[in-house]
Amino acid sequence: MNLDKAFKATLSADVYRIHSLPQGGALVLFRGGAVRTLDVLLEAPQQEIENLISAEAIRWSGAFMEGQQPVLIFTTEKDRNFFVYVQKPKLCSLHKYKLEQQGSAKPLCFTAHITNQTVTLLCLYSNNSVYQVLIPLQQNTEEEEEKEEEILSKSLLLNLSVSGAVLKGTSLVVLDKDHIAVLGSLPEPGKKPKECLTIWNTKFQTLQTSKELPLGTSGQLWCYEEKFFLIHGKVLTVIMYKCETSSLAAAVGKLKDSQTLDVSSFVNWNTLEDEELVVSFQSQESVALKAESRMSLRSNRSTVAGQSGPLSVGQLLLRLKDSSNYVVETELKKLMAKAPTPDLQATIGCVVTALTDRCKRNPKFYPQNLLQEIVETRDLSYSLCPDLMAVALEQKDLHLLQMCLERFPDIPEEITYACLKAFLSVSEDHLKSVDVNLDSAICYVDVELNDMEVKTEILENGFSEEMDQDMCDTKIPQESRSVGESCPVGLQKAALLNAVLHSAYTETFLLPHLKNLPAQQAVLFLRYLYYLYVKCSEKVNTTLPGIRSPTINQIMDWMCLLLDAQFTVMVMLPEAKDLLSNLHKFVRAQVRFYSELNKIEGSLRELQRLNHLRESQTYSIEVLEII
Amino acid sequence: MVANSTGTQLAIGCEDGSVKIFQVVPGGIQFERNLDRRKGRVLCLSWHPSDTHIVAGSIDFFRVIDVTSGQTVQRIMVNYHVEKAKRECVVWAIALLSSGTVVSADSFGRVQFWDWEQGTLAESHTVSTSAVLSLAVAQKEDSIIVGTSTGATYHLQLLPVRLGGLEKRWVRTKPFQFHSHDVRAVAHSPTALISGGLDAQLVIRPLMEKVQKKSYDAVLRKFTFPHRRLVSCARKARLLLFQFSQYLELWRLGSTEETGKDGEVLPLCRMPEHLVQLKSKGPEHIYSSCVSPCGTWLGYSTASRFQLYRVHCDGDGVSLRKVPKVPKLLPPAYQLQFSADSESLFVASARGSVHVFQLLEPGGCKHLHTLRPPSGCSEAVYLLAPSADGHWLAAVSGDWAIHIYNLKCFKHHCVVPTYDCAVSAIAIHPSTNNLVIAYSDQQLFEFSIPEKQYTSWSRTVQSRGLHRAWLERDSPITHITFNPKNPSHILLHDTYLLCVLDKSLPLPDDSALLMNQSTLKQLPETARKRQLHAFKICKKFQPLLFMDLLDKNCLVVVERPIMDFKTQLPLPVQQKKFGT
Repeated sequence: MNLDKAFKATLSADVYRIHSLPQGGALVLFRGGAVRTLDVLLEAPQQEIENLISAEAIRWSGAFMEGQQPVLIFTTEKDRNFFVYVQKPKLCSLHKYKLEQQGSAKPLCFTAHITNQTVTLLCLYSNNSVYQVLIPLQQNTEEEEEKEEEILSKSLLLNLSVSGAVLKGTSLVVLDKDHIAVLGSLPEPGKKPKECLTIWNTKFQTLQTSKELPLGTSGQLWCYEEKFFLIHGKVLTVIMYKCETSSLAAAVGKLKDSQTLDVSSFVNWNTLEDEELVVSFQSQESVALKAESRMSLRSNRSTVAGQSGPLSVGQLLLRLKDSSNYVVETELKKLMAKAPTPDLQATIGCVVTALTDRCKRNPKFYPQNLLQEIVETRDLSYSLCPDLMAVALEQKDLHLLQMCLERFPDIPEEITYACLKAFLSVSEDHLKSVDVNLDSAICYVDVELNDMEVKTEILENGFSEEMDQDMCDTKIPQESRSVGESCPVGLQKAALLNAVLHSAYTETFLLPHLKNLPAQQAVLFLRYLYYLYVKCSEKVNTTLPGIRSPTINQIMDWMCLLLDAQFTVMVMLPEAKDLLSNLHKFVRAQVRFYSELNKIEGSLRELQRLNHLRESQTYSIEVLEII
Repeated sequence: MVANSTGTQLAIGCEDGSVKIFQVVPGGIQFERNLDRRKGRVLCLSWHPSDTHIVAGSIDFFRVIDVTSGQTVQRIMVNYHVEKAKRECVVWAIALLSSGTVVSADSFGRVQFWDWEQGTLAESHTVSTSAVLSLAVAQKEDSIIVGTSTGATYHLQLLPVRLGGLEKRWVRTKPFQFHSHDVRAVAHSPTALISGGLDAQLVIRPLMEKVQKKSYDAVLRKFTFPHRRLVSCARKARLLLFQFSQYLELWRLGSTEETGKDGEVLPLCRMPEHLVQLKSKGPEHIYSSCVSPCGTWLGYSTASRFQLYRVHCDGDGVSLRKVPKVPKLLPPAYQLQFSADSESLFVASARGSVHVFQLLEPGGCKHLHTLRPPSGCSEAVYLLAPSADGHWLAAVSGDWAIHIYNLKCFKHHCVVPTYDCAVSAIAIHPSTNNLVIAYSDQQLFEFSIPEKQYTSWSRTVQSRGLHRAWLERDSPITHITFNPKNPSHILLHDTYLLCVLDKSLPLPDDSALLMNQSTLKQLPETARKRQLHAFKICKKFQPLLFMDLLDKNCLVVVERPIMDFKTQLPLPVQQKKFGT
């Protein structure tokens, strides 16, 4: 799948689910019950989608291949009546069945499989029983048309009772013809119910094995290629299973080495950093903030709520919303002093989001030091607090932006560009009063020359953004002689720009933004890049001194990118002409220099080789000491 | 050319398509008769184990000849079913099994099994895309090894189709790639596959299923150099004689006036000098050669001739003069050895005999005596060692018996107790007249000639046992020499190491590090004492062709880098690998 080729298509009806089939492509099921193959749909996205089920709501759907034909089965509910639809999109056939009612119990979960032209639909009912419904696929269509609605009779397959107690199932999966897996909770007298994954033998009506899941689950269970996938606590748990042929011995547990559940492995999001944080953050958020997520609906809430410390995150967040600056600070200090727990990261993400939300609502509220401290001490990422940088840009908090650029691994190119633009446009005067981290630039930016430059700027009193642009016109010709010798920007600005050079980006996404950079700023940035390049080339190892100083590759990449984006503009600008020609000359000289070096290297290699050859043939008298 | 199973008859296939049978008589062969002649050169032959039939492989076909009638009884085209029949199909190797199955290996890379009586093809295995050049069948006829022109060898085995079933088929089981060039010869021993290639290597690959336990015997071995002396050294004249297959080269060693620390390369004050190149006449390879210690005599022998030269060094010029009227010998000379005083020459000859020549000034030679073992011997002598005082001569013959002769009275002195292993090198100590013997199983013995018994040191070595790492080396000791300054030193070398064996030091036990020179060099002088043991091994020079001690502190070492002659080999068959 090539993401570059992805495109959006707006459809005329709501989609319920997209099913993919091994050979049959993808099937799109609409909320109205209509089914289209993805190919047909993409040919005419705006085609009319009929509504087949009027007021019924789809509860479950599944897609299968029967021979060469895709078959889509879905169940709907309306007024406590359940219906089953079997659709063959290739044949445009649709059959509707009604499920036999089962007293007050209603189906909670469905699963189906096709064997011998028959759909076997298994339903987990709220009376803790599993029922089996058989739906024949091959039917006489004429006969079908006569009856309006066929009522499907079901048969009890399994009672989920474990030595007196009843398993409250939430989802089920078919493993093979004799085994099903049910995820559910077992009530224990006096205690909260414990959740467990169970495997049942339907032939002998026995519980084959069970595995307790004490951290709670989402109530959902998936099964692919002999592996269960379920969310256990905040961890995606993968459990491998192996179903042996059902035998009485196995059913009563007398088989010697029956290992139904043999290996269980965990994928723990919390041990992975950065990119996975998003996931844990979202799960945290869905638990703490949106107390009505599907997840907590299905499983019991207490299991997860018990994990979040003495002062729950929700409470803290509420307090952050309107308490005074001082209170916020002390509360957060307390939070940050806590020992690192796996979910602290996500909690801090939530806290920062809450703070930025408040900043957005109330522009006067801006706890600069607090935010800086959080960014500095915690491994945050952009996606964990998406609004932070936007707020910082708004507040012109350059130091915080610099820190974010240096630390966040996932800043969108749009924000990177916004930072670059902000840094380039801010006046050197203003910068002098701003506290930024100069480590990356202080080692190579020539301070004396810089002072001189600052002086000239002081001479031009009332230096503003517009003035800066105006000034460039007059200044550059004067300085063209010293281009590449003195730094075109001040120390602070250099440090800020270095932070931009340091950030991660994707060319394709950054390029369109860079095209919008005003020409004068682009020229200034290019001059700075050129200056860096010259500085780099002075050293044998082509690296700049200092901490977090840009590498030659970063400089070259940005230079290429900027020239790509702004080339037509640059060519037209008279003040860029000298710069470009200097750059061209310098690069050409470098290329020649390196090609000469390459030649020398080649010759030396050859000499060395010849030397070796001669050495191995020559006669020599050596001293050999044998002790 | 193949002999029959009893060794009484020899069949020779000729270019003209005839097969000639020779009778093997003592001392030679006698033409018996011609078998049926057909067009097409005969490239390979195989006798039936019962000697009734001969199968002869030619280009595009092979034929089966009845030995008694001499008639061709079957002629089978091998390229019959091949599409690419435009090219000729050369049958490079063939074997006739006792069941009557003919196994042919051809240039199309196929190994085919034929029922010659029916003339039908039973099985065909295309083992390679290039030609199969050689083939060998195990004694039991259940296993075959073939060598191909890509340097790969393949193992074919006769295996039951079903486990425990009676029906058996030939299956290509294991491919091996040990050679870079044509595998020209293969042999099948009961426990190993042996292959020899154009890349100058001999490889012994033990068959793991035949080796009982994982031991030293189960290790793959490669041999590059012949276990023979190819370089001889004139110690006093500081000359080296190099023996090549068709010529000899005489070099004078360079010298230096400097000294230095370990590992230093000293500046030369005189460069080594190529004195003369002596080409042997005719197509025969030089079998053995020697230069006398004083550097004035030089001899070599081929399969049919023995030549002796007088070397005259006058200033820078060197002239060789052939010694006339060299006594006619029953050739060939298996080994030549001058006495330490350069006054006599010993020629190792067939039937355990050693001829002693007296060298006469200014350039003559006289047969003095022929030494023979008293009990007689059918094998030729292949190693000689004269004592420095000219009193003794030790000779090793092909039956691994070591005879010691007294040269003063030309009498047989004694026989060293037989040891069931090939002797790889012998030398007589110049001061004690102890004979040091190295066997191919890496055992070392010291035998006192005057006392006619093993020395006490030798008995100690045998009772203590040698270090395991020493015994598990691959290549045998090919040369032994002594340090005149220190009589307890014995210098030995094989292809990969040179060793100074100091009899005065304790023997290392298996827990000690055998190659401890580099460790010792790091230790301070005082700490070295405890670590010292008898084997002082230097692996700096590899692969080692020759080593000798010139004088008390001058050692000459000849290395022959494998790459040197690898580059001189013709290009191997190019194979495409990974689309390169």
